Amino acid sequence: MSNPQRIRRRTIAAALAAAFAGAAFADETCNSPYTARLIKGQEDYVHVWTLGVEGVGDGSDKLVTIDANPKSKGYGKVVHSHSVGGRGEAHHMGFTDDRKHLWAGGLDDSKIHIFDVGTDPAKPKFVKTIADLAKQTGFVGPHTFYAMPGRMLIQSLSNAKDHGGKTGMAIYNNKGAFVAKYDMPEGEVGVVKGDGYGYDIAINPRKNVMLTSSFAGWNNYMMDMGKMVKDGEAMKRFGATMAAWDLKAMKPKQIFSVPGSPLEIRWSLNPKDKWAITATALTSKLWLIKPDGKGGWQAKDVATIGDPSKIPLPVDISISADGKGLWVNTFMDGLTRYFDLSNPEAPKETYTKKTGKQVNMVSQSWDGKRVYITSSLLANWDKKGDDNEQFLRAFHWDGKELKPAFEVDFNKEKLGRAHHMKFSAKGGKKT
Amino acid sequence: MTSARWSWRRMPAGVSVVVVLAALLALVACERAAAPDHSAALGLPPLAVPADNPLTPAKVALGRKLFFDRRLSPNRTMSCAMCHVPEQGFTAHELATSVGIQGRSVRRNAPSVLNVAWQKRLFHDGREITLEDQIWGPLLSANEMGNPSMGYVVERVRGIEDYAGLFEAAFGGEGASAGRIGAAIASYERTLTAGDSRFDRWRYGGERSALTALEQRGFKLFSGKARCVSCHSVGERDALFTDHGFHNTGIGWARTYLTPERTRVELAPGVYAEIDRRTLATFSEPSVRDLGRYEITLDPRDRWAYKTPSLRNVALTAPYMHDGSFATLESVIEFYDRGGIDNPDKSALLAPLGLTGEERAALAAFLRTLTGSAVAALVEEARRTPSGR
Repeated sequence: MSNPQRIRRRTIAAALAAAFAGAAFADETCNSPYTARLIKGQEDYVHVWTLGVEGVGDGSDKLVTIDANPKSKGYGKVVHSHSVGGRGEAHHMGFTDDRKHLWAGGLDDSKIHIFDVGTDPAKPKFVKTIADLAKQTGFVGPHTFYAMPGRMLIQSLSNAKDHGGKTGMAIYNNKGAFVAKYDMPEGEVGVVKGDGYGYDIAINPRKNVMLTSSFAGWNNYMMDMGKMVKDGEAMKRFGATMAAWDLKAMKPKQIFSVPGSPLEIRWSLNPKDKWAITATALTSKLWLIKPDGKGGWQAKDVATIGDPSKIPLPVDISISADGKGLWVNTFMDGLTRYFDLSNPEAPKETYTKKTGKQVNMVSQSWDGKRVYITSSLLANWDKKGDDNEQFLRAFHWDGKELKPAFEVDFNKEKLGRAHHMKFSAKGGKKT
Repeated sequence: MTSARWSWRRMPAGVSVVVVLAALLALVACERAAAPDHSAALGLPPLAVPADNPLTPAKVALGRKLFFDRRLSPNRTMSCAMCHVPEQGFTAHELATSVGIQGRSVRRNAPSVLNVAWQKRLFHDGREITLEDQIWGPLLSANEMGNPSMGYVVERVRGIEDYAGLFEAAFGGEGASAGRIGAAIASYERTLTAGDSRFDRWRYGGERSALTALEQRGFKLFSGKARCVSCHSVGERDALFTDHGFHNTGIGWARTYLTPERTRVELAPGVYAEIDRRTLATFSEPSVRDLGRYEITLDPRDRWAYKTPSLRNVALTAPYMHDGSFATLESVIEFYDRGGIDNPDKSALLAPLGLTGEERAALAAFLRTLTGSAVAALVEEARRTPSGR
């Protein structure tokens, strides 16, 4: 290893080690534990990273800001929109650790757009675009943006050589400069062989463990879904593993066989718990990741989501702040499902509501009283014709029933496809 | 366009093209152009190079850079190599049919560009006849690389700093133009020579032990009972394993007329589900018909006819057929053993063959002897210098 590399590794290790001292558990339940200024009260705004649609409005990807405070005059209305130009397959976003900036990525063009949401969250200000991910790393398709102390850890989905699923993670500093890259594990780590694929990141600082999951490369996530399911070769190219990493060393320690493409990973936010949960998109299962009793971790299939033979396609999940409940959206049937996680070894579906003709992202407030749902999965996976609803729908949750609060029709407003959501509050006063 | 004929075997001693190119290469300190290798061409006919586009190291190196450069698409995501992946036989194993810019659907399987210099017609429907012109098809197709015009591509290339001086060096002081972009990429493609397979060494190189008994039996079947050679021609002095013709095997016809009520989908290894046609339609774009060669000739006899692909390097180029519908060589052999799919325009050359299991296995073994000796070197060279990430 060269001196600059060694120094860089040491710097990263030092930053990671420093992070352990002050790590608090997560934000509106699904963010990095390093994210500051937790919103425990009423959020003021929901920012929606929105895919441009050719022929709809300006056709551009955009960050749409919606007033979410019932006491506001603009409640339930779009108050701001910033177009970034082009259609790069807008997908996920993540706050920097100081929560001042929001990084929003494009799975197609691999651009990462940075917005200042700390100064005035009602009007996110575009700061800059990072466009060197592929050049620096060889990876494309930045998906998860996971705050680290002073840095951003980015999980990619694909690569610039063949648009397949082999990929890795990159670290940038909060100013947007590249720091380091890490390949996803291939070959045997322990008894299971890594597939080199990536999707989500979830860190438990106290256990010095980082979990990663696996999805598919550009070829699949950019392809028309109808074409893909008929393509036997493409269907062989989905992730089937998770990895447990030594966080400080940034080295994979174990690989778990989790067939059917494990997606979002959520650690229980209850400090007493030592487990995380994920859902497999294709096989419609919930998997629990927990200690194996031998100093390592294990992955265990603990529940079925709907009827797997009908491919409900569980997509986003959202865990409650107490770790006792999990929202699961299933894209195909448009259902929002609540699983009781009182016994994480045997989650039970206790509530189901059809919330749209297609549903993808689900985010809940820290107190669990508000649940937000958006419609778009991927530009070329979304449904066609009348089924292609595009919306943000807000609900009140009283523990028994999801009751509509407001809705923004993204088709009618000529905004595009509504995807990932993040919350913000004025001046951080409600944190 | 006139063509000069190059013969690797017939050049006078000491004046071989390889030697000429080797001398040229010595002048280019930092770039090793991919000159066709004499040994790599064993079993291939003489290479035809257009007189107005002679191979030079500078041009080949420039063409290689262009071939791998994703900046040649408007959103900088697609290059020629995204569908013609070196490590995947210069085709794409992971897709039956290609996916273009912004995920747009392409109807057909990406053919390998190994030995493409010997193709008389290009694309599965044969609509282009020179490599120099062919490259503009994918560059300008809305569902492939998606550039709006030739001028757009030329202006893009002229504006990229790391191309400064490269066209001038390769083309006698002339800068980038549509013609010169095509000429450079065509030059690189002409160096993707992958002959000298074990079969070539056995049949044309005098190495009697280069094929096993099973593989030799496979060749006997190939040129006899299985009648493969009717379309995949093998000559006395060389072999391209194609008749350059177009044939209806029934696959295209079936795609048009036989829409399954249910589609079986593999969700994970060994885990399957079925999707009914109505559900599938809710998330599927409208299907686009593919009528094959007929789209070019408008001759009804050409309906659903596609070009005979070369079988050279066939072990490296799965999935197979114009739509990538077969994953393995065994499944292709079984298809032809059944005589293809009956339809009004089916090739008269196809009929049930009555092969035994042992005969099918011998055929598959023979097909796996057709991998060229230089493929690994071509892959290594292709990746030696990253281009335009």
